[in-house]
Amino acid sequence: MSIRKERTGAVLVVGSGIAGIQASLDLAGSGYLVYLVEQSPVIGGNMPLLDKTFPTNDCSMCIFSPKLVECARHRNIEILTCTELQELRGEPGRFKAVLLKRARYIDPEKCTGCGDCAEVCPRELDDAFNPGTSARKAVSRPYAQAFPNAYVIDREHCLQCGQCSRVCQVGAIDFTRQDEILEIEIGAVVVSSGFELFDPSSLPYYGYGRFPDVLTSFEFERLLSASGPWEGRLLRPSNLQEPASIAWVQCVGSRNIRIDRGYCSGVCCMSAIKEALTARARGPLNLRTDIFFVDLRTHGKGFEKYRVQAEGQGVRLIRSRIYAVTEKEGGDGLLIRYADEAGNIFTEEYDLVVLSVGLQPSGGFLETAGKLGLSLNRYGFCEPVELTGVATSRQGIFVAGASSGPKDIPGSVIQAGAAAGESARYLAGSEGTRVPSVVELSPEQDLTGSEPRVGVLVCRCGSNIAGVIDVPKLAEKAGELPGVVYAGEHIHACSQEGQNKLKQVIREHRLNRVVVAACSPRTHRGLFQETIREAGLNRHLFEMANIRDQCSWVHLQDPDRANVKAFDLVRAAVARAVRLKPVETFFSVVNPRALVVGGGAAGMTSAISLADRGYQVSLLEKTGRLGGLASGMVQGFRGEDVPEFLSRLIKATAEHPKIEVLTGAEIKNVEGTAGNFTTTLGDGRKIRHGAVIIATGGAEYRPVEYLYGQDSRVLTLLELEKALAGREPAVAGAKTVVLIQCVGSREPERMYCSRVCCTKSVRLALRIKDQAPGTNVYVLFRDLRTYGFYEDLYQEARSRGVVFIRYETDAKPLVEANGERLKVTVTDHILRRPLEIQADIVGLAAAAVAPEENQRLAHLFKVSLNEDGFFHEAHVKLSPVDFSTKGVFMAGLAHGPKNLEECIVQAKAAAARAATILSRTRLESQGTVAVVQREKCAACLTCVRLCPYKAAEIKKGAAEIEPTLCRGCGICAGECPNKAITLLNYEGPVLFAMSSELCRGSCEDERV
Amino acid sequence: MIIAEQKPLAEIAGFVKDCERVLVAGCGGCVTVCLSGGEKEAEILAGALRIKRRIEGRPLETVTYTAPRQCDPEFIEAMDCVVQGVDAVISLACGVGPQYLAERYPDLPVYPAQNTKFAGGSRAHGVWEEYCGLCGDCILHRTGGICPVIRCPKSIQNGPCGGSQKGKCEINRDLDCVWQLIYDRLKRLGRLDLLKEVAPLKDWSKSRDGGPRRVIREDVMI
Repeated sequence: MSIRKERTGAVLVVGSGIAGIQASLDLAGSGYLVYLVEQSPVIGGNMPLLDKTFPTNDCSMCIFSPKLVECARHRNIEILTCTELQELRGEPGRFKAVLLKRARYIDPEKCTGCGDCAEVCPRELDDAFNPGTSARKAVSRPYAQAFPNAYVIDREHCLQCGQCSRVCQVGAIDFTRQDEILEIEIGAVVVSSGFELFDPSSLPYYGYGRFPDVLTSFEFERLLSASGPWEGRLLRPSNLQEPASIAWVQCVGSRNIRIDRGYCSGVCCMSAIKEALTARARGPLNLRTDIFFVDLRTHGKGFEKYRVQAEGQGVRLIRSRIYAVTEKEGGDGLLIRYADEAGNIFTEEYDLVVLSVGLQPSGGFLETAGKLGLSLNRYGFCEPVELTGVATSRQGIFVAGASSGPKDIPGSVIQAGAAAGESARYLAGSEGTRVPSVVELSPEQDLTGSEPRVGVLVCRCGSNIAGVIDVPKLAEKAGELPGVVYAGEHIHACSQEGQNKLKQVIREHRLNRVVVAACSPRTHRGLFQETIREAGLNRHLFEMANIRDQCSWVHLQDPDRANVKAFDLVRAAVARAVRLKPVETFFSVVNPRALVVGGGAAGMTSAISLADRGYQVSLLEKTGRLGGLASGMVQGFRGEDVPEFLSRLIKATAEHPKIEVLTGAEIKNVEGTAGNFTTTLGDGRKIRHGAVIIATGGAEYRPVEYLYGQDSRVLTLLELEKALAGREPAVAGAKTVVLIQCVGSREPERMYCSRVCCTKSVRLALRIKDQAPGTNVYVLFRDLRTYGFYEDLYQEARSRGVVFIRYETDAKPLVEANGERLKVTVTDHILRRPLEIQADIVGLAAAAVAPEENQRLAHLFKVSLNEDGFFHEAHVKLSPVDFSTKGVFMAGLAHGPKNLEECIVQAKAAAARAATILSRTRLESQGTVAVVQREKCAACLTCVRLCPYKAAEIKKGAAEIEPTLCRGCGICAGECPNKAITLLNYEGPVLFAMSSELCRGSCEDERV
Repeated sequence: MIIAEQKPLAEIAGFVKDCERVLVAGCGGCVTVCLSGGEKEAEILAGALRIKRRIEGRPLETVTYTAPRQCDPEFIEAMDCVVQGVDAVISLACGVGPQYLAERYPDLPVYPAQNTKFAGGSRAHGVWEEYCGLCGDCILHRTGGICPVIRCPKSIQNGPCGGSQKGKCEINRDLDCVWQLIYDRLKRLGRLDLLKEVAPLKDWSKSRDGGPRRVIREDVMI
C-alpha cells in the first residue's frame, strides 16, 4: 500500500469523444483530477455530427449535450482544447506528460460566444461540420452546442486583419498569444482518440468525389440533421430537389482485404438502417430506400427488432456487393450495377447513393501511440490485451472507444467506464489528492418573513440580443414590474465581469431572487446558480428568460413583435421568481460496501475491481461454486486459454481480503435505496450495502430443433467445444462436421441475435481444422456476424477450406439420423438446390438466453427487464450499465448476449459506475423534488407505477418520495389524480401565473 | 373498488347548458384511484367546461371541490359552503355521489359526470377489469377464487358452456373462459372434487332480485 500512496491521483485522457468524456466523468466523479486533452478546438468528437442514434432514434445531440455540459462544468476536469500530447515521461503511476497547447487567439474563458467577430470577419470558408454544403468564416463556432462555448480562429485561413478583436466587447481576442508547452503530472492515461472515416475517393468505382449525389454516411447524417446545411430538409446536393430513391452501399472500406482493411466496422449496418428509416420519415411519401449489404450485422441489443421494423416499414435489403456506381447518361441519376446471389445482373437507378464508409483510427493516432509507446494491431488500432478489455501493452495506460477497434456508442461508453475504473484501480489510494478542494460557502440567506426583492438582469449578448431587442427599454419596463427592485442591462451577463456585477447588485439591492433574461438555461443556468449561491442566495431562487434562442434569433425579421415577446418572457420569469421558494438539499449517508449478484466471470471481475479500490464486496453466487457459464469454455475468441484465466480469477476472488464470497446464496428481500440498501438472504442474513451490481449471467438455450436431445451426435457449441478439448473419439474422429447457426435466435419467440455464436462457430471450425485438417467443416448460416476484428477469423476459416452455406428461414436445414451418419439437407444459396451433407457431428449455435430468476431480481431491486428477459438499462446509448434505479448496475450476459471479453469490460465499467456512489460519503438530492401531501393521497399507486427512477413508494398508507432518488421530472405531480403531489417551485399557481403573463402580451398585441 | 368512466364532455355540458355557475365535485375515493374523478379530473373537467362555454360566447363560472368521499353524509355536509350561489352540481363520484348530493341539496339539480361501470381492480396502469358482481352470496370458496357470476358472460354456475373453445370464451377471443380458469386452478390445487359437489340453487334474492339492499350492523350502531 505504501507504494500505491505515491501514485499521482490524476489521469490524462487523450481525446474527447463520447469515450473520453465518459471516462473523464467517471474518474472525476470518483475523486481523480482529469486532464481532458483534445486536439481540436471543441470537445465532443464525432457524436455531435450524427442526426439520430439507433435503435431508439434519439437525437444524438439531445442525448449527448447534457454530458458535454456536465463535463464542461465538472470541477475535477480540466479541459485542454487545441492541445496535443508531445511526450510521456516517467513511470506508470507517476507519469509526466508534456503537452503542446496551441494558441487559440480567442480566450475561451472570456469569449461568450456572441458571434460579433464572425459578423465582421472578411474571410469565408467551407464549413467543416457540414462539409461542402455550407459556409463559415475564418472565425467561427464549430456548432451551436459546442463546448467551450467560444469562437475559434482558423489559423490557417485567418488574415490577421484584426477586425474581430476590435469589435469584441469582452476583449477575448488576442493575436499576440503564443503556443504553450505544459507539463502535467499524472498517474495513468486513458487513450480515447476515436476514429475517422475511410475516404472512399480511393475506390473510384463508388463514384465518390465525382458525382455530387454520392455521399458518405456522415455527410448524409448532416443532411438529415436539423443543424445541417438545409436545416434537416432532405435534398439532393446536385439540384436541391427531394430524392425519390436512395441506395445505401455497405462495407465501403470495410471487409475489403484488397486494400488491407479486412475488419468489419461493426456499426455501419445499423446506421444505414437508421438512416433509411429517418429518410423515410423526412423524405417524400414513396421514397425508395434500398440497402445493398453483404451480411446484415444487427448483432447488438435490440438491433434485430430494429431491422425487422425497418423491413416492415419498406426498407428493402438487397444482399449484394455492388460492382459500381455510375452516372446515368445525360446526368441526373445514379446507376448501381449489382448481381444477386444467383448471379443475375441488375442495374437500378437512384437519386442519392450513401456509402456506409468504414471506421479507421483517427489521423495522428499512430503518432500518439508512438509517443505513448503502445503497440497497435495490423490495422493501426490499439487492440486491448486479451481478456482485459482495456489494458494496453504499457502499464498504467488504458484504451477506450474506437481507438481500440471499431465500436458503437454503447460499446464506447462501456469501455470508457472500464478504462476509468481500471485507471482508478491502478491509482487506488490516491483519489482526492489532486482535485481542487471544495470551497466552503457562506450560509444561505434566511428568507423567512421577507418580501420578494427581484433583480432582473437583461443581457445584450453582444449584438445577439441587442441587435433585435431594445435592451435598455426592456430593462426599464422590467424595473416597473411588481416585486422587482432592480433591473439593469449587461453586455455579457455570463462573462466573468458580468458574474461579478451580478454579485454586486445582489448585495447593493439586497436582492433575494434573480431573473436573468439572456440565453438558454440548458447551458447557463448552472453558472448563474453558482454565482447567486456564492452571493448567499439559495440556488433555486433563480429564473431565466430565454430572450435569445427563443426570441431574438428566431424573430430577427420582426423586431417589433420580438420586443413584445421579450417582455412577455421577462414578465413570465418575474411572475415565477416572486413565487420561488428556497429548496432544501436532502442528504443520505452512503454505506461503502458493494453487493455483487452472480459469481461468473462478470461478477468476479466487478468484485475484484471494487475490492482493489478498497471497497468491501459481498459476492453472491446461487450455485455452490464460482465460475458461471465460462466454466464450460475452453478457448476465447482471440485464442485465450479460458480455464487458466478463470482459475486465476476464481483464486483472486476467493483469496481477496476485501471480498466475501457467499455461495449457495439466494436473495429473499431488498430494502432501502442507493447508498443504503439492506439485502436479506435466504438464511436470514442481512447485508447492508451502498450499491449493487447484477451479474446473473445467462445460459445456452436447450434446443428442441435438429434432433437435439434425441441423437447424441447433435451437440450445442459449448458441448462441442468441451468434446473437442477432451478429444472425445466421436468428435475427434469425425470426418464431417456441420455447424448450424441461429438455433433459437432471430426467431419470432426470441427476436434477437445472440451475437457470439457466429464467431464461436468460426473459432470451433478453425479448431477442428487445427486438430484434424482433413475434416470437412460446413457452417450453415443466415448472416455471418463476425464483427470487428473477428472478421479476420472468418477470412481465415474460408481460406482453410471451411465451407459456408447460407440458408433462408423458409428453407431451414433438415437433420435426419441416417444409420451410421447424420444427413443434413440444406438449400445452397448459390446453386439454389438442396445439398445433402453426410455428417458425423452436428453442432448447434444455440441462443444465449436470460436466466428465469432475473424476473424475481428485477422485482426485488425495482428494475425492469426487456421482453427477452434481459435487464433493461437506463439508456441504451449513454447509460448502458446503469439502471434508472439509482445505485443498481448491471454487467455481463444479464444485460444481453456478449462474449467473455465484452462481459469483462462491462463488469469493469459497472464497478466504475458503482464506485461513483461508493466513493462519496453522502448522496444529495438533485434540487427540486416532488413532495406528497399525505392527507390527500389515495394510495392509488399512480406515482409508484409511473416514476422512472423508482423514487415513489406507498408507506403507511400514503405515497412517499425519496428525495435523493427524485430527479424532479414532475411526472408524478402531473399525474396524481388527487393533486396530492407537488413539485416545489412548479406548483399549479406558479405555472398559471407564468402562462397568464405569457398570454397577456400577445392578447394586447392582437388588439393593437 | 368501483370503476367509473367519465361521460363525454358534450353530454355533461348539455346538462348545465342553462347554468351560469356550477359546482364540480370530485371524490377522493374509488374514482380518484381509478383516475376518473379526483381533484385533478375535477379541475380538468371544470376547465374544459369553461373553455367550451367561452368559445360559445356564454361564459360559465365554476367552483371545484373534492370531498374525501361522496358516500358519507359528513363529507357531503362539508360542501354546504361551496354550493352557495351555484345553479347546479356536477358530481364526479360513482352513482352514489350524485344521489347523496341530491338528498342533501333538494333545491339544486345534481348531474352525474360519470358512467359507473363495475366493481373491479386494475390490471395495469390504465386498465381496469370487472371482478365482482355484487351478488350478495359469494361462492368463490367453491370456484377456486374465480367468480363465474360476473366473469362468465352467462353467469353459468355449473361448468362451461359449449362455447368454451381452447380456453377462450365464444363471445370474445381475447376473453378467457372463466370455467377453464376455475378448472385449471382447482386442478393445480388438487381440489377438482369441489366441482363434483352439488351446489344448491343460487339465491338471487340476495342480489338485485330482492330490490335495493341494506346492511345493518347493530353491533356498531349508536
